[in-house]
Amino acid sequence: MAPVVQVEQLDKRYGDVRALDHISFEVEPGEWIAIMGPSGSGKTTLINILGGLDHPTGGRVVVDGLEIGNLGERELTRYRADKIGFVFQQFHLVPYLTALENVMLAQYFHSITDEKEAEEALRRVGLGDRLDHVPAALSGGEQQRVAIARALINQPKVILADEPTGNLDEANEGIILKLLRELHDAGHTILVVTHSQAIGNLADRRVELEHGRLARIVSPSLAKD
Amino acid sequence: MSSRSMFLRILWKLLGASRGRLAVALIALTSGAAVCSALLNVNLDAERKLTQEFRTLGANVVIAPPSGGNEAALADAAILDRIASLHLARIVATAPYLYVAANSGSQPVILAGTWFDQVSKMNSWWKLEGGAVTSRDDREDCLVGVTAARQLGLSPGSSVQLRSGERNISFTVAGIVTTGGAEDNQILTNLDSVQTFAGLPGRVSLVQLSVSGTPAEIVEVTQKLAENLPELDVRPVRQIAAAEGTILGKIRGMIFWTIALILILSMLGVLASMAALAMERRRDVGLMKALGGTVPRIMRLFLAEAGALGAVGGLIGFLLGVVLARWIGERIFGVVISARFEVLPITILLTVGVALAGSFPLRLLGRVRPAEILRGE
Repeated sequence: MAPVVQVEQLDKRYGDVRALDHISFEVEPGEWIAIMGPSGSGKTTLINILGGLDHPTGGRVVVDGLEIGNLGERELTRYRADKIGFVFQQFHLVPYLTALENVMLAQYFHSITDEKEAEEALRRVGLGDRLDHVPAALSGGEQQRVAIARALINQPKVILADEPTGNLDEANEGIILKLLRELHDAGHTILVVTHSQAIGNLADRRVELEHGRLARIVSPSLAKD
Repeated sequence: MSSRSMFLRILWKLLGASRGRLAVALIALTSGAAVCSALLNVNLDAERKLTQEFRTLGANVVIAPPSGGNEAALADAAILDRIASLHLARIVATAPYLYVAANSGSQPVILAGTWFDQVSKMNSWWKLEGGAVTSRDDREDCLVGVTAARQLGLSPGSSVQLRSGERNISFTVAGIVTTGGAEDNQILTNLDSVQTFAGLPGRVSLVQLSVSGTPAEIVEVTQKLAENLPELDVRPVRQIAAAEGTILGKIRGMIFWTIALILILSMLGVLASMAALAMERRRDVGLMKALGGTVPRIMRLFLAEAGALGAVGGLIGFLLGVVLARWIGERIFGVVISARFEVLPITILLTVGVALAGSFPLRLLGRVRPAEILRGE
């Protein structure tokens, strides 16, 4: 099966600062990848480029057969709507929209809105009784679950999660991890930026960065063996 | 749910979410719209009322036979019937005049015959001392211009004897009239009396008309009269037409520039609110772009929000403007200014335009880079 993500010799510079230095790896469909490394190692830069939020300086990034490095703003916007589901550390929900409307917002920018489908997505993350709550009326864990429902609603090819449990307590972290595992079991391709060893251990592989370079790719199951 | 329903749903939430800032923008828009609506109402209504007022300032069209070097050229009084048969609604008053040179004792004086009922309609500013002559059948009384009265030693109640060649006529002075014009040197009486006295039945020296309307409308009436009375000279009285045009032009100019200034001030008010709002919405726009929202699609939401604000501000402003116009009319012009509903769409369009122009800072949000806004690291 062809890899869903191919990263070849990826470079990213901000002036004289080299944020990513010749990174190469591939992700198979349905794989769960943990991107790990210390602060400033380039994890978020990598996930921003994969998500079409930033442009590489050099190298090649292909997602679902589409080389995104040379896409213009309009094509990148379409790419984000069609192929990517984002989950952010800060949740990033629109504060004046309800949980349901936040999910429908992603539908709105993708194609057409389907309220029933959005409700179903929220039920899947256990928020069937919180549809009409605005983010301020939800706990951190619930907000992140809304964000996950929003990320899934357009059946993206890849889910990109940047520190999805970084702002959550242990109980809520457990709920989010369980959800990610369910998504993985359902065949979703997930790339998670994390500092959490627990998430790293759940992933199929860990891509570890140091100073913008690929330090190693570890397969936890093999490491345990 | 259709995209339009979702669009309206988000728009509604946007309006509710920033009530404070939008209220400030709405106040700026409503205030501007109220002043614009008031001034436009005043402009339209005052123009109509002022043209009515101008009609009390004397004739603005004169019809006379071409002099051809002969100052005493006369026209047939039948032209009065021909003018009436044209049914020109803008003609407010028609006053024929026949001028005859006469003597009172040894003093030469001009005797003018006219229709006083018509003269009073177009010369309401004439000052009269004593009584008036009102009926066209009154063959006894005359009015004497203030200068002529002084020269001839006449006062209300005295009688005056006039002679022209072998003909004599006498009148009782009903009143002394001050006009500020040529009439101050004349004796005025009924047309029939003068035609009989001068032996010129059915003849007039000229016809003065008071025509209502804007300068352009007056020109239109003048052209129609000239077409139908080709043997006569039909001339607008230039001083009055020019004064009317100048005053209306100045009022229009003042209103135009005041409206422009008010709209600019309103726009600055909106601009200030929207700049603050744009700062608050940077994160939302970054997120929307990350979720696949194109810049035009996101901007449509914000422009619709500004447009809705403008429409509401324009509507409320129009209603307030009607009240303000009424107050201005009563306090300044002493007239009741009625609501002109053609001002409503103009006010709303202007206010929506101001709201859209004032929402410029929101349009700059299109440049937001989502990666910078959403950066978690």
